[in-house]
Amino acid sequence: MTSMTSTPPTPLTTGPVAGSPDAAPAPGGVTFDGVVKRYGGQTVLDVARLDVPHRSFTVVVGPSGCGKSTGLRVVAGLETPDSGRVRIGGTDVTDTPPGRRGVSMVFQDFALYPHLTVEQNIAFGLRLEAKHNRRAGPDKAEIAQRVTDACAMLGLAELRRRRPSQLSGGERQRVGLARAIVRRPRVLLLDEPLSALDAQLRQHARAELVRLHRELGNTVILVTHDQLEALSMGTNLVVMNAGRVAQTGVPADVYQRPADTFVATFVGSPTMNLHDVEPRPHPAGGELVGPGIRAVVAGAGLPRRVRLGWRAGDGVLETPTGVSPASERPTDEAPTGPGLTLEGLIDVVEFTGESTVIHCVGPAGGWRASVGSGVAVPAVGERVRLRVEPDKLHLFDTATGLRLADPAGPVAEPVPSLGGVRPDGV
Amino acid sequence: MPGHDRRPRATAAAVTRHAVLILTVFGMLFPMLWALSASFKPGSDVYGASPLPMPATLENYRYALGEFPVARLLLNTFVTAAGVTVLHLAAGLLAAWSFVRFAHRGQRVVLGLVTVALVVPPQALIIPHFLMVARLGQRDTFVGLIVPQLATCALAVLLLREHIRAIPPTLIGAATLDGATHAETLRRVVLPLLRGALGAVAIVVFITTWNEYLWPVLVAPSPEHTTIQVGLQMFETQEGPEHGPLLAAAMLATMPVVAVYFLASRRIADAFLQSGLR
Repeated sequence: MTSMTSTPPTPLTTGPVAGSPDAAPAPGGVTFDGVVKRYGGQTVLDVARLDVPHRSFTVVVGPSGCGKSTGLRVVAGLETPDSGRVRIGGTDVTDTPPGRRGVSMVFQDFALYPHLTVEQNIAFGLRLEAKHNRRAGPDKAEIAQRVTDACAMLGLAELRRRRPSQLSGGERQRVGLARAIVRRPRVLLLDEPLSALDAQLRQHARAELVRLHRELGNTVILVTHDQLEALSMGTNLVVMNAGRVAQTGVPADVYQRPADTFVATFVGSPTMNLHDVEPRPHPAGGELVGPGIRAVVAGAGLPRRVRLGWRAGDGVLETPTGVSPASERPTDEAPTGPGLTLEGLIDVVEFTGESTVIHCVGPAGGWRASVGSGVAVPAVGERVRLRVEPDKLHLFDTATGLRLADPAGPVAEPVPSLGGVRPDGV
Repeated sequence: MPGHDRRPRATAAAVTRHAVLILTVFGMLFPMLWALSASFKPGSDVYGASPLPMPATLENYRYALGEFPVARLLLNTFVTAAGVTVLHLAAGLLAAWSFVRFAHRGQRVVLGLVTVALVVPPQALIIPHFLMVARLGQRDTFVGLIVPQLATCALAVLLLREHIRAIPPTLIGAATLDGATHAETLRRVVLPLLRGALGAVAIVVFITTWNEYLWPVLVAPSPEHTTIQVGLQMFETQEGPEHGPLLAAAMLATMPVVAVYFLASRRIADAFLQSGLR
């Protein structure tokens, strides 16, 4: 169940959550209930309700200091919340010691024991388990087998006798992963595991983690500040801001229907363009007008001030290269149709390989549009007109920042579920 | 030395500098070397001006070890120094670990008190310690000799605390998540990483205790328990000082410490530099 409620309530919780909130979740699901953590006088984490579905690959993303790492450490038991309960697989683990939660973690710096070899690092937890629980714990043969399996899974067979100081960054990350998975955790926590790797390795490691999750079939929670990792890796996305959960859902949903202006600008690159506009009555529903900007949308009953957003990739350039501003005249009729029309002068052109990002300035302020690499891009200084289809527009309340009814009309159907995550309640 | 034309002047400066250094070192080493040489001189040659023992003899050593309880005194000293060292390490490690791991509100006050204890000269504690030991009936025992010397363990606490703080907290977190108890984390993760620091503390404490004079002479003056530093006064016999055997015994008292220091001086310097304490 992917559902979330946070204070203040956001328009995400459009309907009742399937089943009662206390319905027993599957074994590896993680639930936060009114979890608050303060440092000194500062509240760093305040989550009224958060459900991480069993077997999901959940990515928690947010700017630094948003409480995402603290949240992860609360799941691990390395931090104790000041109030609220944490449940794993339906069992309240708030007072369970970290080692008995069935949770393991890969730390940002990998935290390998420097005085132990790779295989001793991996076996450390199992050996302790065997010592603590002589009857039910693993015996020597089982430990050896599980360490061998973990090494094979992560390609560490050749490195078993090395010490962490003799390993590269990527190898250390794999040892950290092996140490975490060898204990067969219900929940695997990853605290920015890719940030210590260089860019080339990072892309490879992203794919490796996704594959590993598929093979293990347990719940994975990954914390990152990188919105690309957030969108590309997970089956479930949690966006955090200032200690609170801003939105949860399938990454594509979050990208397509951001809950507020924070999520809209944080997720996606280049960031969403936002313009303050004033609604006016219009036969089709409503007309949004600002300096140099005009949009017709189906929604009615809009507040007095509206923030209009559109993604850089959703804009379509209407002025082809070489067309003089004077010849634009006929297209001036366009704004009467539904959608957004915007004008501006090209200021900067950025070629990124697959696409070209053009930075424009106009009466509506600065905005960015991204066009495919096949499209001829007008030169710097030229005037361009851009159109965005009504279903690609996002409306937010200027005062609260929250998302308003969809500009294209009735609320769209939820995106089909990915990886067993049902996006009900989002 | 970069640049050819500069070379002669630089060499001259180096020669001067080294000459000064050599003279200083010689001045410091001379008494030691003279004592070492004299300890091998036979009979009244001890007072002779010859820099080398001619002929060299072990007579003084034989006499010191035979007629005086020098072996026993050395054993006493070793037991005392080793005991104090072990106590310092144990108390220092546990206190340092709890300072880092179980940080609490009163932390600053307690830490301040420990730092103050570092500054208080041990001589100031001699009288209260002596009264306590005497009233507990522990005069002239190893317990009375060793335990009060734990009062100076602030250095061990602070030095080890700095070293534990330098261990990445994620490493402790990893051990906790691996199911390690506090004791297991301390023994299996922290202790192996502190080997250098513990060795440095051990050597410093051992040498200091070995050379301690005031406390043993007060609390345990009998040859059964006292240390070699105190025992050397036995050579001031009623028939006059036995300078040859005295020097031999003094050499025996000094050599172990010098050996320990030469083997480990690098490690001590490293441990103090790394911790930022000096």
